[in-house]
Amino acid sequence: MSELIEFEEEEFDAKFTGHTIRRLLKLVLPYKWRVLGFLLTVMAVSGLDSYFTYLSKLIIDEGIVAKNQAALTQIIVQYASLIVVQAAGVFAFIYIAGLLGERIRYDLRKALFHHLQTLSLPYYNRTPVGWIISRVTSDTDRVAELVTWGLLDVTWSTFNVVTALFFMWVINWELTLIVMVIVPIIIVVATYFQRKIIVQYRDVRRINSKLTGAYNETITGVRVIKALDREEANLGEFGQMTGNMYRAGYRAAWFSALFLPSVQLIASLATASVILYAGVNANEGAISIGGIQAFISYIVFMIWPIQEMARVFAEMQQAVASGERIFSLLDSSPDVVDKADAKDYGSLRGEINFDHVDFYYEEGKPILSDFNLRVAPGETIALVGPTGGGKSTIVNLLCRFFEPRGGQITIHGVDYTDMTQHALQSRVGIVLQTPHLFSGTIRENIRYGRLDAGDAEVEEAAKVAGADEFIVALEKGYEEQVGEGGVLLSTGQKQLLSLARAVLAQPDIFIMDEATSSVDTLTEVLIQKGMDALMQDCTSFVIAHRLSTIRSADRILVIEDGRIVEMGTHAELLALGGHYYRLYTQQFRQELVEQIDPLADLFEDDGEGGAPKTPRVQHAEVQHSAVRNSEETSASILADASSPNGKVKDREFIVGD
Amino acid sequence: MLTILNTTATTMADTNPAPATFDLKQTVGVGKWRGFWRMMRGYRLPYVGATVSVGVAAILNTLTFLLIRYFVDSYLDAGEHSWPLWTIVAGFLLLAAGQAALSFNSKRLAARTAEGIALRLRDYLYDHIQRLPFAYHDRTQTGELIQRVTSDVDTIRRFFADQAIEAGRIAMLFIVNFAALLYLDQRLAWFSIIVVPVVLVISLFFFRRVEQAYEAYQNQEAKLSTTLQENLSGVRVVKAFARQAYEEEKFDQENWTKYLKGKYLLLMHATFWPITDILCAVQMLAGFMWAAVMTINGEITLGTYLAYASLVIWIIWPLRNLGRLIVQMSESLVSFGRLTGVIKEEREPVVEGSVHSTTALKGQLVFEDVEFGYEGSDKAALHAINFNVQPGQVVALMGATGSGKSSLVSLLPRFYDYTRGRILLDGLELKEYPRHYLRRQIGIVEQEPFLFSRTIRDNITYGVGRQVPDEEVFAAAEAAAVHDVILRKLPEGYNTLVGERGITLSGGQKQRIAIARTLLKDPRILILDDSTSSVDFETEALIRQALKRLMVGRTTFIIAHRIQSVMDADLILVLEHGRIVQRGKHAELVENDGIYRRIYRAQTRMEAELEEELNRVRVD
Repeated sequence: MSELIEFEEEEFDAKFTGHTIRRLLKLVLPYKWRVLGFLLTVMAVSGLDSYFTYLSKLIIDEGIVAKNQAALTQIIVQYASLIVVQAAGVFAFIYIAGLLGERIRYDLRKALFHHLQTLSLPYYNRTPVGWIISRVTSDTDRVAELVTWGLLDVTWSTFNVVTALFFMWVINWELTLIVMVIVPIIIVVATYFQRKIIVQYRDVRRINSKLTGAYNETITGVRVIKALDREEANLGEFGQMTGNMYRAGYRAAWFSALFLPSVQLIASLATASVILYAGVNANEGAISIGGIQAFISYIVFMIWPIQEMARVFAEMQQAVASGERIFSLLDSSPDVVDKADAKDYGSLRGEINFDHVDFYYEEGKPILSDFNLRVAPGETIALVGPTGGGKSTIVNLLCRFFEPRGGQITIHGVDYTDMTQHALQSRVGIVLQTPHLFSGTIRENIRYGRLDAGDAEVEEAAKVAGADEFIVALEKGYEEQVGEGGVLLSTGQKQLLSLARAVLAQPDIFIMDEATSSVDTLTEVLIQKGMDALMQDCTSFVIAHRLSTIRSADRILVIEDGRIVEMGTHAELLALGGHYYRLYTQQFRQELVEQIDPLADLFEDDGEGGAPKTPRVQHAEVQHSAVRNSEETSASILADASSPNGKVKDREFIVGD
Repeated sequence: MLTILNTTATTMADTNPAPATFDLKQTVGVGKWRGFWRMMRGYRLPYVGATVSVGVAAILNTLTFLLIRYFVDSYLDAGEHSWPLWTIVAGFLLLAAGQAALSFNSKRLAARTAEGIALRLRDYLYDHIQRLPFAYHDRTQTGELIQRVTSDVDTIRRFFADQAIEAGRIAMLFIVNFAALLYLDQRLAWFSIIVVPVVLVISLFFFRRVEQAYEAYQNQEAKLSTTLQENLSGVRVVKAFARQAYEEEKFDQENWTKYLKGKYLLLMHATFWPITDILCAVQMLAGFMWAAVMTINGEITLGTYLAYASLVIWIIWPLRNLGRLIVQMSESLVSFGRLTGVIKEEREPVVEGSVHSTTALKGQLVFEDVEFGYEGSDKAALHAINFNVQPGQVVALMGATGSGKSSLVSLLPRFYDYTRGRILLDGLELKEYPRHYLRRQIGIVEQEPFLFSRTIRDNITYGVGRQVPDEEVFAAAEAAAVHDVILRKLPEGYNTLVGERGITLSGGQKQRIAIARTLLKDPRILILDDSTSSVDFETEALIRQALKRLMVGRTTFIIAHRIQSVMDADLILVLEHGRIVQRGKHAELVENDGIYRRIYRAQTRMEAELEEELNRVRVD
């Protein structure tokens, strides 16, 4: 939330590059006739406004002063019919311009959304969601406003001022000259104020978003605040923010309040000149009474178009900056693009081969280098290793969220860059660490895996995934809303649903990225079952911390620093006594050692059918494990990391003091 | 000029009398208008000043036209005059200056009132929210509450800053100008306002609908951004299932709906404005016609005609906006009602209690037949809870989600009060301890610790109400095994800003910072929500060590999911549906059939199998 607002308030020094303006204008090009239509209409409406004042003058001079009732009636009738014409014009321009604005907003958002769907994962990794949302919402708003209402207001204002000056000239050119001196002054002052006001309100908005953030944090963190007895201090801090808000708000209001009176005061100088001129020349008939009235009206009402102009120009800077940001998003090209002759090669149930694959985000900082892996169809590969070792990169490459920087990945012998992304990704099922659901019902969320699946299939998938049990216990069962982002469900439940979604997809390749790490034990068991069912048919890749999840894999890869440091089945790797062995013992054995000592007894009890007894302590060399070194651990197991021939030569158990 | 303006604006704001904080509760339950009046306390005088300014400005506006009337009649028409020309010009300029000054003054005073009232509301509501009991927060959605305290407050602000003043201005313009018209010619005056009620009714009718249509339009915008947000945050899922086309279609639907709603809104506007344009213009023209004929017939002077033609504009056109104002003001009343709904909630009394202890607790606890149910739920969350804890002992709570573990520990800091039975803390009834006192003595490390968007250092010292020297902060962080991480991994060490909800930190790091925070607070009783399940085991080990250091010498409650975290406990309580179904030590519990053993077996089965495998390896 706060992230979103912050990005919205981001400052850009907008250079009025002709390039951006040209592209902005291109947006309306498809609708050029409509634009022309509303611009002409608005000119007519604006010109009529000026003409009406002139008609009022005629009423006075040719009707009243001339005491000509026929002329009066004729003028009034003309006036009345023009009012109807103008009303029709007002209807037309509001509707045409407004609708065009909506349309451009629609077009822009559609284009942006479409483009966003084609962008690759690296883009999303480096761009905050809030930033993108601001581009699609508020920036499109500003641009659409500018190219419709902004254009309209400027046209209306300019035309209004020009026609008013024209009629004034017709009435009395000398007085018009006085007015023409005043007009630029008003424009300058108005522009100054509008700029100022915009800056002030930007401040207000910035502080306001901070206030909202503070409220949000206090409400969501109320438990901690109460527990830590922080109320007093918080109020003090918040009071500073509201104090700033008060000052900024008041400053902004102060400038707004000063604006109109200032320009009105300047305008009244012009009016006073008219009165003075008329009074001095009263006897020479230099200007008619109607003329004076018209001049006063023109001057009084000229403030509005000038104010509008100033406002649009002040806002234009922001709108152009918005346009620039929109175009920068539209111009960012996807990192992964389908080749022109990319094809759909059908099922992915073939050998997957990582062939000398290199990958890096930044040159010189390789994530994977010369990575080789052959995976047979139907095989289950587990990836283990420390965070940042490259496990996720491997599956992201496999999904073609990124592409290898060097080497290639082939499926069925086909370089996967020769396939379309759709051909690949539509046959992959994935379950992520943080399950993502879309707002809607449970059924809709599962169906996301395969859109044409029937209700029975959805429920079948839920059963396979072990989700059915909790779903039917819900009040509305499958029709229950999950809430935005699935907030109404627990993490475990969301995870079961995303598993069901993957099951329904009937993927050829199945990927699990730490899917069980944040769920409770019982849910973990459920997920495990569902996974096993799914993995029977697929080539699967599983990333996990919990070894319980990976021990049944056909092959386990220990990945460190972008390399496979160990590979084999669970049993083989245990026997190897290397990294995997250490990972395993660290996770499961420590507590056992602590709690169920002595160890040796355990082994002896477990030893079956005259298995040779393991020597308890072969030699007392203590090797410090780099991974874990706890002085409080009452006993630790330190294993020999090197086992050159792949067999466990010996094993040292050191029972600590 | 720029500098002068800037300084003046700032000084003006600063010289505002500090708003006397008074209990906004007074605005509740006395009717909305009286509530508004009470809310204005301390600002009534400026606001009256603003209203008076508006009124006088309206009078000066009318006087200007009467002055022009005099000018036309005496100078131009008759050619006889008693006042010299310069007095007329000077008078005109004076009137203009007076109007400008008054208009500025009214807006300034109104803004001061509005901003001042908003400031007071914001402060009050903020404090109110953090002091409302959990029962309130449980039944209130965050988004809705935020909506109230932000946009409803802003609506109230606008009510005072713009709407009330503008309505007053329109009313004054009407009254003054109508009085002037009556003075010019009574028949003309009455004739000129025939259309007024019609326009008023139409605009009321129209704006009520427009507000609804606009709200629908805005809601659609919100839906659109939700769709977008979900798409963006789920981008991996979208891509993994190759659902781009589906997503685009979904987005397009919302986008198009918004277009249609915008179209409807536009259609309403495009109809309303021209229609009322025509009505007002026809009224105006008819008046012109009649007045012109009267002038030709010599019934009124030319100056009177001119004054009439100007004044009538100031009656008719502003009224067209009155409908909008009335609708907006009625919405402000709704906002006010919603706010008083929050204000009238009772705060949690944090200092109440008969135990006045300043010394630290020992941490001995006795639960006797404790029962507890959440507000608005007829099912009790806890039944017949009985157990004793000696100072420094560790109690582990196990059980499925919703079994009552969290409810049980929530009773200790009196987040909620038990409904039956007794809890004795150091021999005294828990309910007799002031909440503040208890909360200072109890430390909580939650499963997903909440960090605030401030620096790491501030987060660690968040719970202590004093200046903490660096060494102490570092020591706490070191004991929590996070000192090195802060220095090495975070860009600005202890001064690194935590993103909202701690997004820039890993779960394990947040956990350890929360532990450091709790260490620094040095509580006598500790509540730990075991959360090591979402971190890798290297981190898990660090957290375990940190927790062990934290637990030394403190009565500790651990909510645990994994057997390994409870094995050491002095007492393990297994809860199911709010009851203790098993109790004892690990060694006893594994001996007996029950939930505990089931969980134990599920978690150790694997280990046993692995042991077997190890043996097999050895056999080879």
